[in-house]
Amino acid sequence: MAAVSRDKDSADQKLQFAPFSSALEAGFWHQLTQKKLNDYRLDESPKNIKGYYYNGDPVGLPTRLTLEFSAFEADGPSPARCCPVTGTLYNTNTLEAFKTSDKKALLEQQSKEIWEAIQSDAALKDPSLLCSFLLLTYADLKKYHYYYWFCFPALCFSEGIKILKQPVTLAEVFSPRQTSGLQAAYDRLCIDTGTSAVPYFLVKHSEAAVEVALLRHWDSFITDFNKVTVGVYDPCTLPQHPGWPLRNLLFLIASKWGPQLGVLEVLCFRDRTLQGTRNIQHSIVFQVKLPVLEQSDNTVCPKSVGWEKNPKGAMGPRMVNLSECMDPKRLAESSVDLNLKLMRWRLVPSLNLDKVTSTKCLLLGAGTLGCNVARTLMGWGVRRITFVDNAKISYSNPVRQHLYEFEDCLGGGKDKASAAVDRLGKIFPGVVAEGHVMSIPMPGHPVNFSAATVSQAQKDVEHLEKLITEHDVIFLLMDTRESRWLPTVIAASKRKLVINSALGFDTFVVMRHGLKKPKPCDATDSSPSISSSASSSSSTPAEPAHLPAASLFSNIPGHRLGCYFCNDVVAPGDSTRDRTLDQQCTVSRPGLAMIAGALAVELMVSILQHSEGGYAVASSSDDRMNEPPTSLGLVPHQIRGFLSRFDNVLPASLAFDKCTACSQVVLDSYEKDGFNFLSKVFNSSHSFLEDLTGLTQLHQETQNAEIWDMSDDESI
Amino acid sequence: MEEEEEAVPVRTLLANRHISPEMSSCFLDEEKFRQCCQLFLEHSDSLSDGWRWESVKDSHEGYLRKTALGTSRRRSNPDQISEREQQQTSSDPHQEKTSLSLQNNNDGIDDGALCCLREGSSGVVIQYEYHILYSNSYQTPVLYFRASTLDGKSLSLEDVWDSVHSNYRQRLQNGPWDTITQQEHPLLGQSFFVLHPCRTEEFMRPVMQAALEADRQVNYVVTWLSVVGPVVGLDVPLSYCTQVPAVPHCTFNSLHPAAVETSPD
Repeated sequence: MAAVSRDKDSADQKLQFAPFSSALEAGFWHQLTQKKLNDYRLDESPKNIKGYYYNGDPVGLPTRLTLEFSAFEADGPSPARCCPVTGTLYNTNTLEAFKTSDKKALLEQQSKEIWEAIQSDAALKDPSLLCSFLLLTYADLKKYHYYYWFCFPALCFSEGIKILKQPVTLAEVFSPRQTSGLQAAYDRLCIDTGTSAVPYFLVKHSEAAVEVALLRHWDSFITDFNKVTVGVYDPCTLPQHPGWPLRNLLFLIASKWGPQLGVLEVLCFRDRTLQGTRNIQHSIVFQVKLPVLEQSDNTVCPKSVGWEKNPKGAMGPRMVNLSECMDPKRLAESSVDLNLKLMRWRLVPSLNLDKVTSTKCLLLGAGTLGCNVARTLMGWGVRRITFVDNAKISYSNPVRQHLYEFEDCLGGGKDKASAAVDRLGKIFPGVVAEGHVMSIPMPGHPVNFSAATVSQAQKDVEHLEKLITEHDVIFLLMDTRESRWLPTVIAASKRKLVINSALGFDTFVVMRHGLKKPKPCDATDSSPSISSSASSSSSTPAEPAHLPAASLFSNIPGHRLGCYFCNDVVAPGDSTRDRTLDQQCTVSRPGLAMIAGALAVELMVSILQHSEGGYAVASSSDDRMNEPPTSLGLVPHQIRGFLSRFDNVLPASLAFDKCTACSQVVLDSYEKDGFNFLSKVFNSSHSFLEDLTGLTQLHQETQNAEIWDMSDDESI
Repeated sequence: MEEEEEAVPVRTLLANRHISPEMSSCFLDEEKFRQCCQLFLEHSDSLSDGWRWESVKDSHEGYLRKTALGTSRRRSNPDQISEREQQQTSSDPHQEKTSLSLQNNNDGIDDGALCCLREGSSGVVIQYEYHILYSNSYQTPVLYFRASTLDGKSLSLEDVWDSVHSNYRQRLQNGPWDTITQQEHPLLGQSFFVLHPCRTEEFMRPVMQAALEADRQVNYVVTWLSVVGPVVGLDVPLSYCTQVPAVPHCTFNSLHPAAVETSPD
């Protein structure tokens, strides 16, 4: 009897048990999900499941009760050196039911079963009944959130268990001979019972020999009630404490033989193999005095504990969010990203993937080019893709436009922009795609038929301006030349990177538009003289001294490169040999759009990898042998392809100061007069723009020159 | 297992077998794989190394499986996890209530539980799971693995990476092991990381050929695992290499030209 004044010491001498930590393998949750979906459905009735505890962990690991994917096969085999534990699964249909289920009652019910097994001697015959668990779960299969709470019921003495002799290792009390005797005896016991681990057993040891026996042989085996040793297959690794499975064994012993028992010696059998060498010397041995159970304790089920604390140490359930590894959409996302990262690990270590995947792409046109560009963008992991198109899907489309199917053509056809968005979502749910069914106003296509048409055109322009502002890269993928004009002007004004692709019958062009220097108001660090260079004549390049001098076709920095419309007039270097593009014609060799669409995206990616982005100096065909400017290689201005010769060339050309789309005078007029200027362009014939930019005058001069040339020829 | 797209180069290699019989020494047919596994398992049992054969229900297919535990060296990981738990609890005000009511119920009982143990106090415990499968396409073993915390939440590849010893990490990024990817387990349909087998033949060939030249029999699975295992934290005791017998008459070079001609592919 401990004196009140020695309360602290006596508290120190109370036996404490290391509780189980629940350990769930990923496969368990997969299997629970399958069971819930296919077998249990709305059935909430308790289910038999199975866990196990392992003996042989290195020091420092928590004492675990592990449930793996095989937990639902209650009578399946257990892994070697593992003690199976039967459990009861309560899977609720709702979170509310999970919360409101009576945990106290569940614990009491399970404890009562254990207590009754003790009273009826069933536990003596089958000691595995002493160790069991409850698992309360709720699986939110929409979010892949799993709520769970384990309970490892342990019957409690009304007072603590006094330690008479502190735990010491087996090595300190057993001679090597006794140790090997114990090991051999235990192994025999396992073989005799046909199990890989016997959870509880009796031990008799003397200098000469060590004997073990099953619990049910107590009466014949135990001869001296003052020297009783029980063994427990102990999953705990702590040197001073036994694990949880011992608890109910002690209760059984107290209940059966308590009054006659003096000191009880406990051997926590621990068995591990390190580097192929088996050892049990770290087992621990201690002595306790079991409290005497009141007479009433044998008729009323004692109190019990066992609900597991959560990671914060509080009595509460746990929740695990498995959406990353179970939600198919999340899996698709991580697989796509991981696949792209493979490039970085060895082939292109400096590849900046985030720069690519975070780029917001606006695709003007959702036809053959648009479909191919979108798919290649998705291949690069680009998440934000927006389509603009006013057409509906027709019967001829699906075979070339890979985002559409025959079904999409029926009933007049779906809008391409929205059908493309739906399909992207089906291909990869992680994509954030938007579709806008709208027309892009075009020069020479009057909008001034009525107040309504004018207002519609104004709305369309504003809509397009807004979309271009919201995106990083603008792809021009329409089927007419005129429709590219407005986005070219807006994007040039807003300093957005433009990738333009156009097809002929067997020729294509893929190009980046020159990216004008930031406006003085936008970039405080750039001096006005540099930003005005765009208006300077192409014949007087004013470049910083450290750059190689830009000529007409080489070393042109990004801000001085031409746009689609500049190049219409300033022909590329070798165009004399190459056939011209028939840009009005949408009849092309079927493979062409795939090639051009893919190149458009690859060009964008290469530009994004360049430290200067859209301002990067244009690479040309001559640079093919030089050190590439990016980890992915060259950053050309244009790729012109000739399918008839299976050949590409990489021309570069300067911005044209009289360009009808990107020249300073056009941009100034647009920025100053906005829609008023644009509507004049839409409503007038092409001469309006040509007059504005000075093209008319240029044409005049050219014609005169030609006339002179011809007259020269004729004179010969 | 389904034929994969990447199988093409292997087929090309296989097509060359009749030109160079030694080439075949780097491949393993499924029966030999099973035999190697059987011998491997016997040794594992003798060591209590924890490997076991898992059969797939209603199928003749199966795989070798082992689980292991470790603690994460990752400094930021415990913080992340506790942060996650906090978010979860705070987003669910009812949870706090249920826990309180239960705590009251426990009042007055000395629960006898050691309460100084808190998860995460000595690093986060990680459960590793390793599966060895046979790939028909590549005719090699393939290592699938995943790692999870004790609540069953799988670790991202970055987290797994951080638990790989730094010596190996360097090697992984340079060597022929830069092929870890994410794939569905072909037998379980769950997401696993895979050391892609596309390079297996490349690093096994010199080993198998050297063994062949020295007239030394080796157990393919043991040799292969001792190369790929350590890079994902899987310990393969040396005794496997010294004590696991080769498959009897394990003539990996047994595919004579004649045999190739009659083979179905």
